[in-house]
Amino acid sequence: MIVEGTYPLPGTPPVIWDLLMDPDVLAKAMPGTKQLVRIAPDRYEGVMRVGIGPITAAEFDLAITLTDIRPPESYAMQIDGKGRFGFTRGTAQVELAAEGATETVMRYSADLQVGGKIAALGQRLLDSVSKLLTRQGLEALNRELNRRLGGEPA
Amino acid sequence: MKPPAFEYHRPETLDEALALLAEHEDAKPLAGGQSLIPAMNFRLAAPAALVDLGRLTELRGLAAASDKEAGGVRFGAMTTHAALETSPLVAQRAPLLAETIGFVAHPQIRNRGTLGGSLAHADPAAELPAVMVALEATLTLQRAGAERRVPAEQFFTGLFATALEPGELVTAIEVPPLPARSGWAFEEMARRHGDYALVGVAVVLRLDPAGRCENARVVLLSVGDGPVLARRAMAALAGQAVNAEVIAGAAELVASEDIDPPSDIHASAAYRRQLARVLTRRALTRALERVR
Repeated sequence: MIVEGTYPLPGTPPVIWDLLMDPDVLAKAMPGTKQLVRIAPDRYEGVMRVGIGPITAAEFDLAITLTDIRPPESYAMQIDGKGRFGFTRGTAQVELAAEGATETVMRYSADLQVGGKIAALGQRLLDSVSKLLTRQGLEALNRELNRRLGGEPA
Repeated sequence: MKPPAFEYHRPETLDEALALLAEHEDAKPLAGGQSLIPAMNFRLAAPAALVDLGRLTELRGLAAASDKEAGGVRFGAMTTHAALETSPLVAQRAPLLAETIGFVAHPQIRNRGTLGGSLAHADPAAELPAVMVALEATLTLQRAGAERRVPAEQFFTGLFATALEPGELVTAIEVPPLPARSGWAFEEMARRHGDYALVGVAVVLRLDPAGRCENARVVLLSVGDGPVLARRAMAALAGQAVNAEVIAGAAELVASEDIDPPSDIHASAAYRRQLARVLTRRALTRALERVR
């Protein structure tokens, strides 16, 4: 499953970069994240709970490892999620490019495999669900960045 | 294949059911159980309590709508698909619904599954949400001590998401009378009959006395988060003398602009667009033939 797109963010790439490394900000970009802790400079671990429609309690243990870190331009993520309902793993690439003097365009692409019960039963919904979670995550991230940068209230 | 433990309530009246739903925050209403129970058995859903609506006779059945909605039909939310399928009133007053119902799953499921349940579940591949949006139906939502009416178009808010608030229940659905000079059609493609549709489309076409399109409703299913109104195609049809060329143009707009379909192992987004193009053309063509 491929998820990709671009999204405008408020602030210059160095400012956005610092905020994206903050686990509390990163958690906002992943809807349903209950906790996310930076256990090493390049590794985060946490728990994500996804509830869509009839699925009310799909909980995943999440591990994210950053690779190819090139501040403030790009990084890659190795994503590993495991839970009672199945697993997801894959890679994601994030690139930040300056847009004018004060803004950044984030280009993201992820290639994720989803397996186990959730994939067997929910195959026809995976694409729609990933689009929904991506949209929710980016909007939440944008709100959080605005809040932290003293712009609009959250 | 057994659900986790849950509390089970079986109220005898609607008031009792609404009180139970208000009281138990984690309770799910149980209608026909054709989606909820499998989800529980697979342990994807784990509600703390179920409120079984099976004994609420006041929510069952359908009737001719009275007074100002003369010519329409009012459905209790617990009316089964099978009751819709065999109702002469539905065949006469809501022929689009009658044409669609056979596409919904299989007879065994239609015997248990309910109209209100299907709408509240809001599966993006479900037929009845799209048909209710096409027919401009109105849903009655009730909670303890309060009632409101919501147009179907505003009821569906996203992927398995609706305007229902916690503690609120769909209790009735009203379908307005089909105006004069209207035609209708439903088309869908599935790998096997009864499977989830790859794409489906519900159409209502109304002409003015001069034969031009006065109002077109084109609603697709299985191409987005819920029923998708093809607004650009509808706008392109408005005011036109509808012919094969106009229909082909509208179908093209549906495929290229109105929808952003998902890809899955059953069908790619490109194939869904092609299906939407072909099915919309067929549905509009048949709707035009039926205008009377």
